Amino acid sequence: MTTAIISDIKRFSVHDGDGIRTTVFLKGCPLNCVWCHNPEGISPKPQLAYYKDKCLSCGECADICSAHSLSGGLHLYDREKCIGCGRCEKICLGNALKFYGRRTDVDSLVTLLLEDKDFYDNSGGGVTVSGGEPLMQADFCTELLKKLKENAIHTAVDTCGCVSKEAFVKVIPYTDIFLFDVKAISEEVHLYCTGLSNRIILENLRYIDRLGIQTEIRIPYVPDYNSGEIEKIGMFLSKLNCITKVKVLPYHNFAGSKYQSLGMKNRLPEKLPSDEDITSAVNILISYGLNAQG
Amino acid sequence: MFKTFNQDRTYLENKYHKTSEPFDAFNPSIYHGYDYDAATGLNDDGIKQGLAELYGQIKDLPHPVSKAKAVEFVLDNTRIDVNEHDYFIGINSWNREIAAVTISKWHEDVYSNFIPEVNAIFKDHQKAFTFDTWADYDHSVPDWNTILDLGFTGILSRARDYRKKHEQNAPLTPKQAAYFDAIEIEYTAIIRFVDRLYRYSLTKTHKKAQKISECLLQLRDGAPRNIYEAMQLMYIYFMICECIEHLRVRSIGNGLDSTLYKFYKNDIENGVFTKEEIGEFLAYFMMQFSAIGNYWGHPFYMAGTGEHGESLVNDLSYLILDVYKEIGIYNPKIQVKINYNTPTAFTDKIIDMIRNGRSSFVFMCEPGMTKAMMSLGVTYNEARTCDVKGCYEFAVRANEVSTAPLYINLLKSVNLAINNGVDTFTGKELGIKTGEHFDDFDSFYQAYLAQLSHILDISTALVDKVERYLEYINPTPMFSAVSRHSLEHMQDAYAFGSKYNNTIILHVGFASAVDSLMAVKQFVFDEQLVSFDELKTVLAQNWSGYERLRAKILNSPHKFGNNDPETDMYAAALSHWLCMKENQRPNARGGIYKAAMHSALHFRRMGAVTTATPDGRLSGEEMSKNISPVMGMDKNGITALLHSVAAVDPSLYTEDFCVDVMLHPSAVSGNDGLAAMTALLRTYMKNDGISIHFNIFDADTLRDAQLHPERYQNLQVRVCGWNVLWNNMSRDEQDMYIRRADAIR
Repeated sequence: MTTAIISDIKRFSVHDGDGIRTTVFLKGCPLNCVWCHNPEGISPKPQLAYYKDKCLSCGECADICSAHSLSGGLHLYDREKCIGCGRCEKICLGNALKFYGRRTDVDSLVTLLLEDKDFYDNSGGGVTVSGGEPLMQADFCTELLKKLKENAIHTAVDTCGCVSKEAFVKVIPYTDIFLFDVKAISEEVHLYCTGLSNRIILENLRYIDRLGIQTEIRIPYVPDYNSGEIEKIGMFLSKLNCITKVKVLPYHNFAGSKYQSLGMKNRLPEKLPSDEDITSAVNILISYGLNAQG
Repeated sequence: MFKTFNQDRTYLENKYHKTSEPFDAFNPSIYHGYDYDAATGLNDDGIKQGLAELYGQIKDLPHPVSKAKAVEFVLDNTRIDVNEHDYFIGINSWNREIAAVTISKWHEDVYSNFIPEVNAIFKDHQKAFTFDTWADYDHSVPDWNTILDLGFTGILSRARDYRKKHEQNAPLTPKQAAYFDAIEIEYTAIIRFVDRLYRYSLTKTHKKAQKISECLLQLRDGAPRNIYEAMQLMYIYFMICECIEHLRVRSIGNGLDSTLYKFYKNDIENGVFTKEEIGEFLAYFMMQFSAIGNYWGHPFYMAGTGEHGESLVNDLSYLILDVYKEIGIYNPKIQVKINYNTPTAFTDKIIDMIRNGRSSFVFMCEPGMTKAMMSLGVTYNEARTCDVKGCYEFAVRANEVSTAPLYINLLKSVNLAINNGVDTFTGKELGIKTGEHFDDFDSFYQAYLAQLSHILDISTALVDKVERYLEYINPTPMFSAVSRHSLEHMQDAYAFGSKYNNTIILHVGFASAVDSLMAVKQFVFDEQLVSFDELKTVLAQNWSGYERLRAKILNSPHKFGNNDPETDMYAAALSHWLCMKENQRPNARGGIYKAAMHSALHFRRMGAVTTATPDGRLSGEEMSKNISPVMGMDKNGITALLHSVAAVDPSLYTEDFCVDVMLHPSAVSGNDGLAAMTALLRTYMKNDGISIHFNIFDADTLRDAQLHPERYQNLQVRVCGWNVLWNNMSRDEQDMYIRRADAIR
């Protein structure tokens, strides 16, 4: 049985594709975007988040794992010692520990996803696989999506596109729609914002477009980072044929506490876009004949 | 949108209480608004004195006649008003003053002399609130179509015709004669009262006076011709019946939009009023109920399906919403009947209002209501076209009275089972002996059901005794005259004379009880983390010294509302057991009992006298309300919650069934969010759900509102069937909402 490492599952997800959906977040992403609001999705390895303000210093976790200890009544967590088993999350009394990285098999995941089938059916919703970058675990995705299609569930793959073409080839037969991130057209901007070139991303996008697969483009709008790219993105997308919708996602910095809880360096930009910024970006995209929304 | 409403608003807001002074929602009628003209009649003191003097003349009369004469006295003598700032009339004496010489005395009479044993038994139970009971006169919905078709004069002449017809068949018994005499006295007095208002309006020279005079003249002599006259008539009926005659009128219209639509259509087509003018009348009309300010919110319902399967949503439905939105009030509260044929544009409009903070709406799904009602033997059309009344209750339109005299504390019986029948709050043995120890969970569960069964038996026996005297304590001639069934049978419509004379049992603390049972199962029997004896100690000490255990219990996945199969199984089983015992049980009025999954304010009142419970609840804390989870315990999201709710078969609840959901604003933003809420509603409806209302909050906003109340003057939350302003809630109550909002992050 194929398994995958997932960081989270969100039921009643309404902004990751049409209708009411359940979104499965798979762990691991090739990009390292400065604005990333799902930092728990970057590393492919399990990670434990520790929310200090919720900790009751009860010591339940210290009783079962040496990565946790109590010192002078205060909880200490040694990230180096963590083996990523996730047992401490279940036992934590204050909900201060959140484990990202549970290994899951397709069947048990499908069972869970089917629980909300009536909500999908009544809303035109379904299941979205997201991340991280879900296609880094393409075999798992393929098997999962196939099972979902067997159960007549609408499927969406939310991808940054930075994976091999083969990964796309595997999931395409079982994917109803791609939610495809386009962050920049200029290679140097992309490199600066995400750490990698966008060449393979744009090639993949052209490839699925040529096949005629429904694709919704999602553009995170981050002032001073990729905000100058909107015209170019509009021009690029206007040459494609199968883009059903273009969504401009205003950058937000709500993820700050997540970085802290994961012991990761918070690089989130400070500047937030204004409503006018988003409207103007949407209007530019519309001027390219795209079905753009804020 | 309005010509004069905005200028008149201050007057309207202060019509029944001074908005600048603290308002006691439980005693709203102590102030009478602006000074009324003393020349028009007596103030409350004068009315009280006059009634006291009248007492000698009426005390030996049959109760309906006696009460009618008291009502007549108030109508003939109260001060009245026809104000330049209002299209609707003013009644000075709206504090139910007749009770002192009639209903209160008869109530005392019954409880002290006829059924003293009721008080004796109830005394201990009331302190412990194992259950609560009283004679309920809070749930009448008249046949408004008849009222509007006939007018006061038509109602009276129809009653006279019925009397003649009956007298031709056989001489009336004294009781039957009293029934008709009372109707004659009251309706004659009402018509005289309208005439007095009319004559007073002629003395007024303000801009609205002529319109009001024309309206009153018409209502004195016949049925209303236009929508303004119709609303004035409804208002006069409401004020007299609810505030003088002592019978609450808890829906305005049988569907306000459909009841008034024929007038609306006619007025627009014939140029009687423009749409704008009608909108303005509606604003004045709705403000009357806001001004009264009853804490439970005055209800009216809308939409739904007609007799021929057609959607009843019309232009007026939209106009009512527009006006309600524009004037920004939360009282009256609105119940929205929906079905698969309800236009999405209509529900979308309401959902959009809800997500923008206007939470005083509840959706009520007709398919679920129909299924539930038909299990009682009413016809499909009776079920589908039912009235909505009170908070979430439904009843056969114009033909059913279901009183609400009994609240059962489902949580307390858990503690009775743990303590062998002894209530730990009062120290009294209020349950039965079910044993000190249990070998397994099944035995404990059986003990719980035995306690519950015992409480149900004694409480329904008390209700039966009391309900025999409903019409003795408070006969209802005004309401009876509107019911054809009552006139045909010459019996009081609220007590015995409706086609269906039912009684409901309200379930309080359902999820708290289920969570408590599950905690006993998991921690005492399955995992044996605490012994049964130790649990008794833990609860006696209110968890003090056992904080870790409490945290573990609070974190358990076995909480109702999370789609946890085992918990949902016990929830469904408990619910089924209760409904099988309650539904169809004969009551004392020729009707039956009906189960209601609705807790009104008792989730707090009963919580206050219930000591710590195994679910982790602290002594005195509120318990769960309606079918909703314990605050903060639904951690798996809205879809999981609605699956748990559907697991408890809503169709078993033949009176009402409501779930309260809380959603984070980000989940319902934009077009996607709107579509998602619509889909939630539809899925709930497909799963036989009945009522659902939404609170859209995030915890940070609520915390900020606690710190800066001045910035959140208009923040309102749905409590239990009604809304309150956030700033009017106690800190504890606010904390409960924050607890739940935290869980939905």
